[in-house]
Amino acid sequence: MIGTEIKRGTAELAVLSVLEHGPLHGYEMARRIEQQTKGALRFTLAALYPMLYRMEQRRWIRGSWETSDNGRRRRCYCLTPAGKKKLSPLRQEWSELFQALRRLKKVSHA
Amino acid sequence: MRDWEELVERRLNGLALEPAESAAVIAELAAHLAETCEELRKQGMAEEEAVRRTLSQVEDWQKLTRLIQTVRTKENTMTNRIKQFWLPSLLTLLLSMGLLALIQVFGPNPWLVARKSGWSLVAPVAVVYLPWLLSLPLVGAMGAYFSNRGGGSQRAVFASIVFPVLPYLVFFVVALPVMAIFNDQLAHSIMFGALFVGLFAWVLAPGGALLAGGLLAQFFLSRRLDSRRIAGS
Repeated sequence: MIGTEIKRGTAELAVLSVLEHGPLHGYEMARRIEQQTKGALRFTLAALYPMLYRMEQRRWIRGSWETSDNGRRRRCYCLTPAGKKKLSPLRQEWSELFQALRRLKKVSHA
Repeated sequence: MRDWEELVERRLNGLALEPAESAAVIAELAAHLAETCEELRKQGMAEEEAVRRTLSQVEDWQKLTRLIQTVRTKENTMTNRIKQFWLPSLLTLLLSMGLLALIQVFGPNPWLVARKSGWSLVAPVAVVYLPWLLSLPLVGAMGAYFSNRGGGSQRAVFASIVFPVLPYLVFFVVALPVMAIFNDQLAHSIMFGALFVGLFAWVLAPGGALLAGGLLAQFFLSRRLDSRRIAGS
């Protein structure tokens, strides 16, 4: 249960973080996250879209259809004001968690 | 060029959303797959391998369908639970109880049994019980079918199939021992024998019969889904 929640939490943070810099469609979002985390976080289609739809239902992100230069229709997502508002405390929570884990690591090495 | 939309539409065939919403989901996922495949091709991968790698992003399309369905639908999780578990379960319970009552009233009427207190009271257990037991695989199959149709998981389907024996299980495991403890008029000497015979006759045997029909139905339903997927790939 904790594993699932942690995975979901980090994934949501990753999505909100990449969308902070501008709208992206699902494929590009997954690629950016993989590149920026140097492959540590990878999203398959099966993991990404249910999460995007969930975040959209919560009104953290909003999707709209756009047509690319090659004529392909893609759904681009952008952060909503609620999503922007969510990003800051989420970052804070994860930062505190990682700091706590680092402290724990130091204690175990001492 | 591969028709990704057609492929996604076939694989998400259980997605029960509004047509426009389903089309939007299918178009979005198809665009993602198409871009993944194109990118792999640009990296020099052979088409067959690129398609295989692209499709490996989704291990279980049925699970993905369920997830999207749950998230996208306006109904909440409770409604899904009702469709996938409670309705099929109550249907199987109602059918099994109804069939038992119908067999008691309209079922075979034994010739050689004295009719001292009305035929329905003296009909031997086997005459009522066995036809009921034989009808249960059909009830189990219906439970599996309706739970499956509602998009139920394997666990929900299984629970819907065996649900009719749960009241009996509770009776024999909880109510009967409690009655034996608190009711002095119950003969404790026959308690264990009655408990095991009852447990077998009203829980294990009906449970087995329900599962025989339900799991068979589930097997054919999944095979039908698989063959559709193979045709779609």
